[in-house]
Amino acid sequence: MRRPQKSCPFCESRVRWIDYKDDRTLGRFITDQGKILPSRLSGACARHQRQLSTAIKRARFLALIPYIRGHQA
Amino acid sequence: MPRTYEAVYIFDSTLEDAAINEKINRFNGLLGAKEQPEVAHWGRRQLAYSIGPRENGYYVVSKFNAEPSALPEYERALKLDDGVIRYLVTLHEHEVGAPPQSEEELAAATRRDDDDDDED
Repeated sequence: MRRPQKSCPFCESRVRWIDYKDDRTLGRFITDQGKILPSRLSGACARHQRQLSTAIKRARFLALIPYIRGHQA
Repeated sequence: MPRTYEAVYIFDSTLEDAAINEKINRFNGLLGAKEQPEVAHWGRRQLAYSIGPRENGYYVVSKFNAEPSALPEYERALKLDDGVIRYLVTLHEHEVGAPPQSEEELAAATRRDDDDDDED
């Protein structure tokens, strides 16, 4: 059975390129642990999901969002 | 052919502002760019996780045009600088990224979505 189509939140707001410096937006697409949400849950189209995962990985490297949330070093 | 890059530097937050500006000017000098890079200071902010002993960093975002051949020397200087905790140089893709979606394409995509819904 096919799941109903979600509409891509980035296409809807006419975003052409997802900014890795925008930690507020990216924060909405990670789980409580800090994992990247799958497109099944984020609703993003393939193009935006690819951009999203790259952006999240860059933001993690720059310590804008955590790799693991709630982790004490 | 020069390309547009965007660099994010995270400086040690204990550095003086004057020292940070001096470092940025030195890095920009290595690029050999004709026009002055656009530099945006985000200032001191907390890191999402500690990097070594550091909990805070001074963020600076810079956009510049440079020849790709100038980058290795520039990145070497960044790597060797103790004041720079982390840096990231990326191609500034906003212009060359996703092709613009025209109104018709968008309408067609929405129509396709609607069709899919009907099949369920």
